[in-house]
Amino acid sequence: MLQIRDLTCGYDSRFLLQDINFKVAAGEFIGIVGPNGSGKTTLLRAISGVLKLKKGVILFEGKDIPRINQKELARKMAVVSQNPPVNSLTTEEFVLLGRIPHFQRLQFLESKQDLEIAERAMALTGTLKLRGRPVEEISGGEKQLVLIARALCQEPRLLLLDEPTAHLDITHQVAVLDLIKKLNKEFGLTVITVLHDLNLAGEYCDKLILLNNGRIHKVGAPGDVLTYQVIEDVYKTVVLVKENPISRRPYIFLVPQEGRK
Amino acid sequence: MNKKILYWIVWMLGLGAALLVISVFSLCAGSVGMPIKKIISLILEGKSSAEYSILLDIRLPRIILGFAIGGALSLAGVILQGMFRNPLVEPYTLGISGGAALGVCLNIVLRLHRFWGVLTLPLFGFLGAIVVISLIYFLNIRKGILKMQGLLLTGVMLSFISSSIIMLLMAVSRTEDLQGIIFWIMGSLEEPNWLLIKVAVIVSVLGLIVSYFFSLSLNALSLGEEEARHLGVNTEKAKRLLFILASVLTGLSVSVCGVIGFVGLIVPHFVRSFVGSDNRILLGSSFLAGACFLILCDTLARTIIAPLELPVGVITGILGGSVFVYVLAKKTVS
Amino acid sequence: MKKLLFIACVLVFWCQGPLYSQDYPQRIISLSPYLTEEIYLLGAQDRLIGCTVYCQRPPEARNKEKVGTVTDANLEKIVSLKPDLVLTASLTNPKTKEKLRNLGIRVVDFTSVSSFSQICGQFLELGRIIGKEKQAEEIVRQAADDVELIKKSVKGLPRPKVFVQIGAKPLYTVTNSSFVNDFIQFAGGINISQDAKIELYSREEVVRQDPDVIIIATMGITGQDEKAAWQRYKTISAVRNGRIHIIDSYMLCIPTPVNFTRTLKELVTILHPEK
Repeated sequence: MLQIRDLTCGYDSRFLLQDINFKVAAGEFIGIVGPNGSGKTTLLRAISGVLKLKKGVILFEGKDIPRINQKELARKMAVVSQNPPVNSLTTEEFVLLGRIPHFQRLQFLESKQDLEIAERAMALTGTLKLRGRPVEEISGGEKQLVLIARALCQEPRLLLLDEPTAHLDITHQVAVLDLIKKLNKEFGLTVITVLHDLNLAGEYCDKLILLNNGRIHKVGAPGDVLTYQVIEDVYKTVVLVKENPISRRPYIFLVPQEGRK
Repeated sequence: MNKKILYWIVWMLGLGAALLVISVFSLCAGSVGMPIKKIISLILEGKSSAEYSILLDIRLPRIILGFAIGGALSLAGVILQGMFRNPLVEPYTLGISGGAALGVCLNIVLRLHRFWGVLTLPLFGFLGAIVVISLIYFLNIRKGILKMQGLLLTGVMLSFISSSIIMLLMAVSRTEDLQGIIFWIMGSLEEPNWLLIKVAVIVSVLGLIVSYFFSLSLNALSLGEEEARHLGVNTEKAKRLLFILASVLTGLSVSVCGVIGFVGLIVPHFVRSFVGSDNRILLGSSFLAGACFLILCDTLARTIIAPLELPVGVITGILGGSVFVYVLAKKTVS
Repeated sequence: MKKLLFIACVLVFWCQGPLYSQDYPQRIISLSPYLTEEIYLLGAQDRLIGCTVYCQRPPEARNKEKVGTVTDANLEKIVSLKPDLVLTASLTNPKTKEKLRNLGIRVVDFTSVSSFSQICGQFLELGRIIGKEKQAEEIVRQAADDVELIKKSVKGLPRPKVFVQIGAKPLYTVTNSSFVNDFIQFAGGINISQDAKIELYSREEVVRQDPDVIIIATMGITGQDEKAAWQRYKTISAVRNGRIHIIDSYMLCIPTPVNFTRTLKELVTILHPEK
């Protein structure tokens, strides 16, 4: 579905990403992980098409992304940014903005079908009860769900998320990631998400891409990427990796300075 | 949700009715009072009477121009506030009015209007506006990307520069010219030339229609440029065309009527607090509300101390400002 | 004999005819105080049906219908009075003039005057327009005679340097493009700022040129404050000799022939107190 070849890009003259190569198959749930400043968000922005590439190509369903009509791209790929600005629209109006790429030329008002899709997206994300409230006023966890509802309104095949669980309590962290997992499993939505919490990434993703200093350090299943050697190498800190007895996924324990002896 | 569309229709109809009522009131009010019954008989019969002339040659053109300019300024306000996602931006922030004022002042000081006719005044105003618009535009376009923050800053700076140059011109100009400049800066809906009034109406209504093609892009832009792009909006095209549209509307208003402040700032806010920030309703209702507001202010300006007349900017500022503060205070309390 | 009488009658009618004919405007509105005053001078006040709120002289003018200010006339009011002539001046809003013309009302615009001869010229023109040519000629001749007399009386007297101030903050003066310059010249003085390009003047320049007399026209500014301000510059002869005079701006700024001679007489006493 998505193929990235020899990608190099950055802001102005600084290269934040270099020589990135990987492939994403339809239906995969991929996590991008790495230390702060390793280029996770930059990679996501490059895929979403807002960043100009210095070198290399990103093929989405076989087509070069900059060549795809913006509106057409938005019908196939939705982006949930981290902490995007919101306005004083009501939650329902906000979710309906996701229908914009599907509007016909000269269409100003939502059709009945648009409204149904929005309603379904809100029902799926459990945000129907918020429909009349201004997005400015809802909590961080609710906002994240509303953003996902808006993305679903675009009826995408690929969903990009930038740290969807940042600043959320564990209830909402689990709620958001469970929802994404459900979309991935039940609706076949391909998901690429940036996550800085390695445990959450290991728990939910099928495949992890570990970035370090703008280069791919390792790609593979969580069990292969989240080993103590790899993590100590990249994060320069001592950790202990065990297995979650329920999910059989790796779980990382931090080791404070005191306990290292 | 059909409820929403119904609500919108009711709003537009309500504003349309208000516009009609205010226009009729404005026709009746003036230093020469005219009850509505008399107006009807006057229009039907008396062609040559002084009252007929007052009604159709003095009051009507002002109402029509008030409609066009009030609408254009409010529309420009909605567009710019939406584009910049900044509630303090108004049509005059970008230095367009400064440029237009400078153009007119140059014309007055060089006395070009005496040789080539009074129509050169709005023409020079518009030229001044175009010069400033292109300056702002080309200073802030880098690799095909229009930098919004730079646009705002350059605009503010250019408006300072032009007002300083105007001050310089005023200091070195002769007394009669000074008078002309002050007249023009104070702003007024009195315009003897029907052609200009027609042009103003056509341009502002066209502006409204064009703005609707971008209403959804504006909605998306209210989330910021990057989010708008994620929603499939061609932000560069939208930004450029919206900026040019708002500039043309402002430039036109300023060159025909001079500087009439506050309309473009207050009306969009006021309307937004009633209909919400969806630009599909905001654009149209702000246009109508702006037209109502300016016609009403102009009527007050010419009746309050009749036969003397206040500059309309005085009324828009005092009335608009205080109503706005009242609404804001009431909103925070509830 | 009968024939002669007939010719005489025709002549009389022919001469007097235009004076009473409907060709001359019967409903006049003046949008400038000095034009209002000139209409009174010409004895055509009966035909004046409206003027501005600033038209305070002669006192009877206060009772005329008011149609707005000098700069901002009320079109509706003017139209409702159904005038057949509107007199405008340089301060009238150009849009008002154009609008009135579009409405089919006769507008005669008097541009600003820059000399005594232009004052007289305009006065004669006004007389001609409203059919009071004779009276106008009489008044102008009288004024011109007075001016000549005054000019003669100051001939040979020392010519003091004069600075005329018509505005403070910023300091405004008069140049030779204003008829006020004629006052100084006719009264036997030298206007130190007569060759200045613009009316904005610097205080330093005044100190450097050291005028013998300073004349302050009060127009919105309080003359006493300005007089006190000048007291700081002790090097100026006018300050040392106490020759700072405050004069009503009305006298300097109303360009009628009659007012001109009246003001000129006053200025002669200021510039030549010894006489």
